Amino acid sequence: MRKTLSLFILASLFAVSYRAAAQDVLSPQRKQAIDSLALEKVRDLSKYISIIGDKKTPWSDAQRVIERASELFMENSEIGVSSLGKQDVNYYKVRQYFDRLMQLNYDRVTIDWYKIQYVSDLVQQPDGTFVGVITVYQRFQAYDKEKGLVYEDTTKKDITVYVKRKETQIGGRLIGFWDVMLGDIRVKETSK
Amino acid sequence: MRYYLWSMLLLFPLSGFSQSSIGSVTGDESVFYAQTKQVNQFFLRFNGEEDVQGNKIYAGSPGYRDLKSRKKYLNMLFDNSSPVINSDTKFVFIDDALNKKNPAFLDFYTKGWFAEVAASFLYKKEKVNIILYLKIEKQHDGYKWVISNVYFDRFQSWFTHLNDTTNLKYFIHPMSHELDFMNLHKAFREPENLDYYFEKEYQPDMTALFVMEMKDGNLSFVAVNNVKFHVFQIPNWYFELSWFNRNNVNSGWLISNVLRVNDKEKRELMRHYTHVN
Repeated sequence: MRKTLSLFILASLFAVSYRAAAQDVLSPQRKQAIDSLALEKVRDLSKYISIIGDKKTPWSDAQRVIERASELFMENSEIGVSSLGKQDVNYYKVRQYFDRLMQLNYDRVTIDWYKIQYVSDLVQQPDGTFVGVITVYQRFQAYDKEKGLVYEDTTKKDITVYVKRKETQIGGRLIGFWDVMLGDIRVKETSK
Repeated sequence: MRYYLWSMLLLFPLSGFSQSSIGSVTGDESVFYAQTKQVNQFFLRFNGEEDVQGNKIYAGSPGYRDLKSRKKYLNMLFDNSSPVINSDTKFVFIDDALNKKNPAFLDFYTKGWFAEVAASFLYKKEKVNIILYLKIEKQHDGYKWVISNVYFDRFQSWFTHLNDTTNLKYFIHPMSHELDFMNLHKAFREPENLDYYFEKEYQPDMTALFVMEMKDGNLSFVAVNNVKFHVFQIPNWYFELSWFNRNNVNSGWLISNVLRVNDKEKRELMRHYTHVN
């Protein structure tokens, strides 16, 4: 029901006749509307990550949130993580990344997000899908019961955003709309 | 120095970011605002197509490609700690790029720039470093990055004897055709000297070797270690773009090297990297 409703809202936001929709051209106004949609998904993701990482979240709730967070992503999306000390990047499947985040061995973890965000241009791929990147910054702090703050980092997250034309029938009319999905994420530790 | 910090604050104010934000951390974000966070942002800042808050300025809008803003931005798009960029070169580059009659702009979609990706692979179970060169290519109405060349020192080491004019030992004599080239087996008996027997114009195709080794299962990808870009789009100039991860306003994607080059030198440099004729 929730999915149908959001689909309807999406369709209403970007309703265009199918004939016009065949022209995959993004005007500045449409780009701004798509940016808002994409940022909404990133905002959802940031909330989910904070909940998954929070030690107070019960296991069953965290599982449900992981499920919800995974639904934001295209199939086979990966998260590439690097830290200041290491040259190599470790690649994780999205689900695996969330599982690892949930299982971090600290007494308390806080995950906060900086206010800044940066949205790139959208570039069309050969298959017609548009792709862009949203950059956000996250602060991670881990605490030990006795020692207090034991680990802290700030990471830059470059999140792939796919924007695809889709169509649905509403009231017998074929409506075109833009659907937004998240893709691979590159996580880089920033300099301290 | 004081002037520099002041202009940074003017360009990247700490508050007033117009878009709705995702976060709540209230710390000093000036470094993140100033940082050139994406290559896309480097292009927009270079061209004067982005306002100080990071919003895109579209063609026809006030401030679009404004020369004064570009001058401020361009000054900050250099790695200030680079030992290879001197202030005179930087000054002339900016002056040329912002020529009032014919200002230069960067274009994501056109030729004249490519990526250099340093990656680690496993080659016959040994960890090795390989450089991949990629460029943007159009397909249908969209674009994609394609591999245009590969550099792997192991592949290079197989061709050390090419064009060796001092060699008077390894050759197939000029009357061999009368013997149905029966002496070829002598040439092939010592594979380490095989490359003496090729024509002088021969250029080994490293990309083909890369494909062969990957498909034969001898080579497998591990990770990307570093990425930089080579840009030839500004008339009479070449520059290199690298990522600087540091905790100050001069960070992110910045010009790490800049050279004045003529068209012939540009073609040579590009051919050297991409094998484009």
